Amino acid sequence: MPSPRWTKLARDVWAERGRVLLMVAAVTVSLVGIGSVLGAYAVLGREIQRNYLGTRPASATLDIAGGIDAALVAEVRRHPLVGEAEARQVVLARTRVGDDWRRTLLFVIDDFADLRLNLFRPERGAWPPPEGTMLLERSAVPMLKAGPGRSVLVKTPHGEPQEVEVSGLVHDPGLAPAWQEQSGYAYVTRATLARLGEAPLLSELRIELAGRPLDPRTVETRAAEVARWLEGRGHPVHEIRVPPPGQHPHQRQMTTILLMMLVFAAMALLLSAILVANSLASMLARQVREIGVMKTIGARAGQIGRLYFALVGLLGVASVLLAIPVGVLGSRAFTGEISRMLNFTIGSSAIPGWVFGAQLVAGALVPLLVAAVPIRRASRTTVRQALDDHGVSADRLRARLASLPSPLRNPLRRPGRLALTVGLLSAGGAMFMTAIDVKGGWQANAAKVYETRSYDVEVLLQEPQPDALAQGLRRLAGVREVESWGYSPAAFSRLGQIDVVRTYPDRGHGSLVVMAPPPRTALVRFPLKAGRWLAPGDGDAVVLNHMALAQAPWLRVGDPVTLSLEGRPTTWRLAGVVEEIGSAGVAYVTDEAFARATGTQGRARMLRIAISATSPAARTLAIRAIDRALGEAGGRVEAVTPLAMLRTAVGDHVEVLIRSLAALAAILAIVGSLGLVSTMGVSVVERTRELGIMKTLGARPARIARMLVGEGAAIGLASWFLAFALSLPLTLLVDGVIGNLGFLAPLPLVISPSAAAGWLLIVAVVSSAATLLPARRAARLVIREALVRT
Amino acid sequence: MDTMSNTELPVHIIELRGVTKTFPGDGGGFTALRGVDLRVPRGEFVAVVGRSGSGKSTLLNLVAGIDRPSAGEVLVAGTPVQALDESRLAAWRGRNVGVVFQFFQLLPTLSVLENVMLPMDFCGTLPPRRARARAMELLDQVGIADQARKLPSALSGGQQQRAAIARALANDPPLLVADEPTGNLDSDTAEAMLDLLASTTRSGRTVLMVTHERDVTRVAHRLVTLADGRIVQPPAQPMRREGGSHA
Repeated sequence: MPSPRWTKLARDVWAERGRVLLMVAAVTVSLVGIGSVLGAYAVLGREIQRNYLGTRPASATLDIAGGIDAALVAEVRRHPLVGEAEARQVVLARTRVGDDWRRTLLFVIDDFADLRLNLFRPERGAWPPPEGTMLLERSAVPMLKAGPGRSVLVKTPHGEPQEVEVSGLVHDPGLAPAWQEQSGYAYVTRATLARLGEAPLLSELRIELAGRPLDPRTVETRAAEVARWLEGRGHPVHEIRVPPPGQHPHQRQMTTILLMMLVFAAMALLLSAILVANSLASMLARQVREIGVMKTIGARAGQIGRLYFALVGLLGVASVLLAIPVGVLGSRAFTGEISRMLNFTIGSSAIPGWVFGAQLVAGALVPLLVAAVPIRRASRTTVRQALDDHGVSADRLRARLASLPSPLRNPLRRPGRLALTVGLLSAGGAMFMTAIDVKGGWQANAAKVYETRSYDVEVLLQEPQPDALAQGLRRLAGVREVESWGYSPAAFSRLGQIDVVRTYPDRGHGSLVVMAPPPRTALVRFPLKAGRWLAPGDGDAVVLNHMALAQAPWLRVGDPVTLSLEGRPTTWRLAGVVEEIGSAGVAYVTDEAFARATGTQGRARMLRIAISATSPAARTLAIRAIDRALGEAGGRVEAVTPLAMLRTAVGDHVEVLIRSLAALAAILAIVGSLGLVSTMGVSVVERTRELGIMKTLGARPARIARMLVGEGAAIGLASWFLAFALSLPLTLLVDGVIGNLGFLAPLPLVISPSAAAGWLLIVAVVSSAATLLPARRAARLVIREALVRT
Repeated sequence: MDTMSNTELPVHIIELRGVTKTFPGDGGGFTALRGVDLRVPRGEFVAVVGRSGSGKSTLLNLVAGIDRPSAGEVLVAGTPVQALDESRLAAWRGRNVGVVFQFFQLLPTLSVLENVMLPMDFCGTLPPRRARARAMELLDQVGIADQARKLPSALSGGQQQRAAIARALANDPPLLVADEPTGNLDSDTAEAMLDLLASTTRSGRTVLMVTHERDVTRVAHRLVTLADGRIVQPPAQPMRREGGSHA
C-alpha cells in the first residue's frame, strides 16, 4: 500500500492539476524545441556524410585549356599526390522556359558508367542519357518546368537553340538546390554537347588528393603542385578551383542555423524551468502550513524536500515522455526543410538514442536544479515560521510602495515572483520581436538589391561585343538606359603562381569577377564601407565589394591588388570597398582601364539595362524584347538575368531560418504567457482572505475583477517595455550572425512597429485571459469561504 | 516504537530552567516569557491558563520544540530541546511529542486514516500495514473509526479534533501538547475532548494544554497561570487525584 506521504503528493498533484499541467506544458514545449533541433542536428550531421561526402567531392578542379584526354587522366591518376581523377566540362547554357531563357549549367560527362568524382545518382528515367538527350538535376525541374519525356529548347554559347529531350532525373547532393541559385542543372554526354554546337572537349580536371586532406592550405598547396607538374608536361593550367574541403556549399549556414536554434531552445528550457520553480514556489507558499504540520508530526526537512523533488522529477519525466514524440515530428520537419535547402535525400530519419537521452537529462535535471532553490527554502522553514504564515501579508509591503496605484502595488508584494514573471514574459516577447525584426532586416537587405541597382536586367554576352549592340538596344521601346560594362572572371593572384579560386563546381559560391562600369554609372550606387568609388580617369583604381574583400581579407585601402583576368595577371590599387548585397565577389575598375588591360576597347561583355515600364508584367515583356533583339543582332548571350531573379535568390536562401526563429519565438511566447497565467492564479489564491475582507467592506465583485485584471495588465505592460528594450541588443546580435551567414555583412537594424504592436496585443490578450478566470472566481467567492482560508 | 519507555524517562518529563523568550521587533522586541521555571512530572495533565499575550502559547511552543528559548534551558523527556538542529528536532518531536492544534491542522488531501498514519510514516516507526492497523485502533479509541476513510472536510469540528488527537498519539509519545484544543468547539464537544485528553494520561502520558476553558479544573491535575510572561501560581498544586503520578 502506498505510504501516506506519497498519497498526499499524488492528491496534491490532482488538486493542483491545472498548475501542474501548466508546468508540464511549459517544459514539454521547450523540450519539443530542443528535441526538434537536436534530432535534426544529429540526422543532418549523419546525412551530410552520406550525401555530400558520399559524392566524393573533388578536392580541386584544374582548368586546362586545350582539353583533357583519357591518357592524361590515366597519367594524373598515377601521380603520387592524386587519389582519383576525372575529366569533365561545365558549359553555361540557356534553356527556354515559356517566353524566357533561364541560365543552365550543362555538366558534360565523359562516361556515365565510370563516374569517379562528384558523383550523382539516377533517380528516374534513362541512365546514361541517350545521345541528344539530357538528365536534369531533380531540384531543377520546377526551375526549367520540364521533366522526363518532355523536350526543352537549349542554347549553348556557340550553338543554335535546339530541342533536347529530358530523358531522366538525377540527384546531385553536391550542388546547392537549383531553385535557390535560380539556375538549371543538366547532364549530357560529349556527343550531345557536340550536337548542341560546342566542341566536345573536357577542360576541367577534377582531382581527389591522396588521403583526402581537409585543410584548405594543404589542398591548395598539393593541387598547385599537381598543376605545376601538369604544366611541366605541356598542359597549361589556367586556374585551380578549390571548394572548402568536405563542406557542402550551404553547410555553414545549416550548422549556424541549428546552433542558433539550439541556443534559443535551451533558453526556452531555462525559462520553462524558471516557470516550474515559480509555480512550485507558489504551490509551496500555499502549502507552507501543511509543511509546518508535517514537521510538527516528525517530518524532517529532507523528507519534505524529497516529496517535492519527486514531484518536479515526475513533471520532468512526464514532459519528456510527451515531448519525445512531438520532438521527433519537429525534428523531421526541420530535417525536411534543411535537407531541401541542402538538396539532400534523407536516407534514414532515425534519431540516435543520445538525443532522447539529452532530452531526458534536460527535462528531468534542469527543472530539478532550478526548483532546488524554492524546495530547499520551503523544506527548511521552521515549524513556527510555517505555522505563522498567513499567505501574503501587509508587512511585506514596503512603506515606500504605499503611494503606488493598486495595480502596481499588489504585484510588488512578491517582488521575486514578479521579477520571474516579467522576466519570462519579456524573454518571450523579446524573442518574438527579434524574430520579426530580423525578418525585417533580411527583407531590408534583400530590398537593397533594388535600392542599390537601378537597372532591370543584366545581359552577359559570351564575347565582348561592339558598342553598336548597346546602341541598338537603346532604340527599343521601353528601354530607358543601356550601359556597357566590361566583364571578366578573375582571381586574386600571386605573381608566378597559378590562380586559385575558392569556388564550387556550380561556379557561383565563392567566385570572383571583374566588372568595369562607366565611371559615372547611373545604374548602381553601392554604400561605401571604406575609401571611395571609381572616378573618371582612374587608371589603376579598383573597388572591391565586401564579398570580394572576404576572399582577400588582408587588403587595405591603398594596397596593391593583383588580379588575374582570364589567366593574365594585372595590378591595381585598392581605392575603396562597397557593400553589395546579392552578389558574389566583384572587383570594380573603370571601363577604360579594363579595356586597356584586356584589349577590348570599344567592346563590352556585359550590358546593364534599365526599363521604363513599371509593372512587372510590362517589364517582363520588355526583357523578352531585349532578348529577341540581341538574338537578331547576332549577340551571343550567355545569360540574361532580370534583377527580380536575383531578389528571389536572395530572399529564398534563409527563409527557413526566419520561419524557425518565428517558431521558437512562439515557443517562448507560450512559455512566457503560461508564466503570467500561473502568477495571476497564485496571486488570487494567496489573497483570497484579503479579497473576502474587501467584499465584507463593500467591494463589488466587478470592482475586484477590475482590480485583478488591472494588475495583470500592469505586469503585461511592464514586460512589454522590458521585452522591447531586450529585443534591441538581441536583434543586433542575431542580425550579425544571420547577416554574416548570408551576406558576409550584418543585416541592417530594423525595428518593426508591427512586431512591437503585435506583442503588445498578445500581452494584452494573454494578461486578460490569465487574470479574467481567477478574477471571476475571486469575485464570486462567498465571503465566509474567503475568510476561513488561512 | 523506539520512544523512551516509562522506566527510561526521567521523573520530570518537562523541565524549564530560567526560560526567557524575546521576539525581535522595533524598540527592543517583545518578551513573552521571563525566566520561567517549571517542572512537570510524568503522567500529569497540566493546564496552562492566562490572558491573551501572557505567554501561554510561547511556553507550549518551547516545550514542543516549535520555538527556541532566548535564554535558559528546555528539557523534555531528558532532551535539551534547544540543542537540537531543525532536522533532528523534527525527528525527535515526531517520536516524543504529540501536538494538537486549535484548528486541527489535518492535511486536507489525506483521509482521516492516512492523517493518523502520517507520523508513523515520517518517523518510520511501523511498516505501512501495521501503521494502518494502529491508526484504526487509535481512531477506534477516539470514537471515530467509522469516519476513517473520509476526508477531514467531511467531518465535524469535534470529529476533526478527535482525529488530530489520534494523530498526536500515533507514535505513542510520552508527551502530548495541545494549544487551545477546545477553542474551536461547542461546549459539549469541548467537554468530551477534555475527557479524551485526560484519558491519555492513564497510561503515564503527560499532557500540557493551553486553554481558556474555565472548567478545566475538572480534568487537569494542576493549573499553571501565566501573566506577563511569568508563572503567577505555584507550579505544584494538585487539582485532580485520579490517574497519573505526579510530584
